[in-house]
Amino acid sequence: MPISTVFEGKTEYMQILDKDSKVDAELDPGLPDEVLDRMYRLMVLGRLWDHKCINLQRTGRMFTYPPLEGQEAVSVGSVLAVKPEDWLFPSYREWFIYHIRGGPLSMVNMVWMGMEEGMKLDKNLRVYPYAIPIASNLPHAVGAAYALRMKGEKCACIAYCGDGATSEGDFHDALNFAGVWHVPCVFVICNNQWAISVPRKKQTDSETLAQKALAYGFSGVQVDGNDVLAVYKAVKEAADAARAGKGPKVVECITYRIGAHTTADDPKRYRSEDEVLYWRERDPIKRFLFYLEKKGIWSEAYEHKIHEEADRLIEDAITKAESFRQDPKEMFRYVYAGMTRNLEEQMKECFGEEGK
Amino acid sequence: MFEFRFPDVGEGIHEGRIVKWHVKEGDTVKEDDILADMETDKAIVEVPSPVSGKITKMNFKEGDTVKVGEVVIVIAESGPQPTIQSAQPTSAQAPQSASAKSSSLALPKQSATALLSGPASALPRTAPPASAPASVSAPSSAAGVLATPSTRKLARELGVDIAKVSGTGTAGRVTDEDVRRAAGQPTVAAAQIGVKAPPTPAPFQITVSEGDIRIPLSGLRKIIAERMTYSKTHIPHACGMDYMDVTRLVMLREKEKKSFEPRGVKLTYLPFVVKACVIALKMYPSFNSHFDPDKGEVVAKKEINIGIAVDTPDGLVVPVVKNADRKSIVEIAQDIEHLAALAKERKLKLEDIKGSTFTITNVGSVGGMYSTPIINPPEIAIMGIHRIRDLPLIVDGIMQARKVMGISLCFDHRVVDGALATQFMNTVKQHLEDPDLMLVEMI
Repeated sequence: MPISTVFEGKTEYMQILDKDSKVDAELDPGLPDEVLDRMYRLMVLGRLWDHKCINLQRTGRMFTYPPLEGQEAVSVGSVLAVKPEDWLFPSYREWFIYHIRGGPLSMVNMVWMGMEEGMKLDKNLRVYPYAIPIASNLPHAVGAAYALRMKGEKCACIAYCGDGATSEGDFHDALNFAGVWHVPCVFVICNNQWAISVPRKKQTDSETLAQKALAYGFSGVQVDGNDVLAVYKAVKEAADAARAGKGPKVVECITYRIGAHTTADDPKRYRSEDEVLYWRERDPIKRFLFYLEKKGIWSEAYEHKIHEEADRLIEDAITKAESFRQDPKEMFRYVYAGMTRNLEEQMKECFGEEGK
Repeated sequence: MFEFRFPDVGEGIHEGRIVKWHVKEGDTVKEDDILADMETDKAIVEVPSPVSGKITKMNFKEGDTVKVGEVVIVIAESGPQPTIQSAQPTSAQAPQSASAKSSSLALPKQSATALLSGPASALPRTAPPASAPASVSAPSSAAGVLATPSTRKLARELGVDIAKVSGTGTAGRVTDEDVRRAAGQPTVAAAQIGVKAPPTPAPFQITVSEGDIRIPLSGLRKIIAERMTYSKTHIPHACGMDYMDVTRLVMLREKEKKSFEPRGVKLTYLPFVVKACVIALKMYPSFNSHFDPDKGEVVAKKEINIGIAVDTPDGLVVPVVKNADRKSIVEIAQDIEHLAALAKERKLKLEDIKGSTFTITNVGSVGGMYSTPIINPPEIAIMGIHRIRDLPLIVDGIMQARKVMGISLCFDHRVVDGALATQFMNTVKQHLEDPDLMLVEMI
């Protein structure tokens, strides 16, 4: 028997807008001005909000918080690329997508302020609660995609995870089922180079994360995750194909977490300042700003205007979240379907007999 | 007035250290301006101002440790402030500060982009890609050093720059020992704070039957267990015992008891014993020293500080009567009463239990005739005294009922021998049997 090649795979990389804002005219999706405007506004809002949240945490007004800076294009590009009927399965750093979908900013603030009401997401917006455990949302997304297809709904599920998540069993379970069942699911890997302090290089010896899809019978694509146009185009194509019954896809977005993993982390302990500067040069907002200027959308007045708008939104969200009064009894009530004797005793201890 | 209390800036931290103040008293700050760099067990973080106003009070200095919840700074608020500052046309703020970053986004393009890309102009285009393994450069700051938080704390307490300590642990980890060595602390210090013997498996098995309860050792018991194990396994103990005819001492005490009352102190036998020991320690200074087995040297102590073992509900503690040789019997009595009260309330400070050169354990209040107490390292000896009881003794050829007290002396046989120990004990005995002699020695 001669030896023959039984499988050969390839994985492509796409970039439309490079770090110096040069655009590939052929790949440019040619989005209407109002979409470009929305992309920019959202990315700026995401960053300003991120900075504010860090300060809120540092002054004791917010609990542990995962900074977004540097990854705005992945959230904004991917959500704007899909249809409102598609379901989104975010990981914790994609907290922004609930607002992109139309949810109030204050809900997100409430989550990081420790109020579970912040997770009471509007079902019509089709955003699944943020997964804090790594990769646990991926099998959920595959199951949901399978169920939605059974129900005859023509929509896709978009599941988010990080580079570290690709080493989790759940990631591989999810991709395997997605391939076998051929479900309409898009896996967006937000490869921000660091899983807390573990660098991407130590995560896997694979050249790319996108190629992992090949092993499960479908394809993956790698894009510049700091290029909002490339994220948009790749996710749109993948979601459109999924909805059309062409099966799942992995979209690996190469980006960088400029900030700390969470407010309890100090990245200076494990990565160099030079590395951060290298990525600051590739900032997703900066390159998009010049692109918009060439298109005649961006001006200084425009920048001022969207800042004022963002400041107002953020201020309003904080006021709303901080004025929300939580009923502390709920921490006893909803641990189990019914309260156990222990919990009843504890509640009585805290609130007295009438506390029930 | 806004009192800014130090929040939990990490996840469940209890305290932080002020690395650097970015402001001073009298400064006017805006909301989100950076007030200070604070170091916690987890990270060094920038702490911004929660309000705008004038700083009227700063409660801590650089290097101070602040507990979560303590008021760090007081700010006189300048009227109601919008939560978010609108863009300011100044980028003079520290570029690292989050507020500066966000506000200057709204600047003319050059400034905005300069900020977005950080101080990127100084960056070589060939910067390493992120996927390259993080370069582990020589530790230039404490943050880059491998060490546990408790070791870092120790270094701070001993005033050691941990960045300059070469670690001997796994992967260059700096250990407590490294820090102590860098601080120039003799290894004997390790013995003083309780050396942990390497855990060896116990040569027996404990069966736990139904109804049995396992009780973990309390903190103090654990320390006692460690120190006693160290002492008994490292120090070759030898013990001498004798009895003393303290009839005259009892008479003296009965006579003088009343005169002590107005001074608010109860006269017990212990101060007399301390005084007798001081006389013996002066005559035989080998017993008033510390032994450093690593160097093979005895450190003869200048001061005579007598440790008094005090029984508390949590376990034995040993507060110290400092400079006992320069104190009168009544002063010693006052010291003992005060220290014992503190010990029972667990209010002893570190300085109350440090620096003893000889220890007395008074088992008298409980009972027994003799004992073999365990040496309190790095001391040389420990003396036990016991309950006074009526016993028949032959005095001047006639059997009489006398007041008798047992005395036990355990000593480190590496440093002193039995003959010297007996002479030491005889001196104590002589002075307690004839308290008038103490008058002769009185300073």
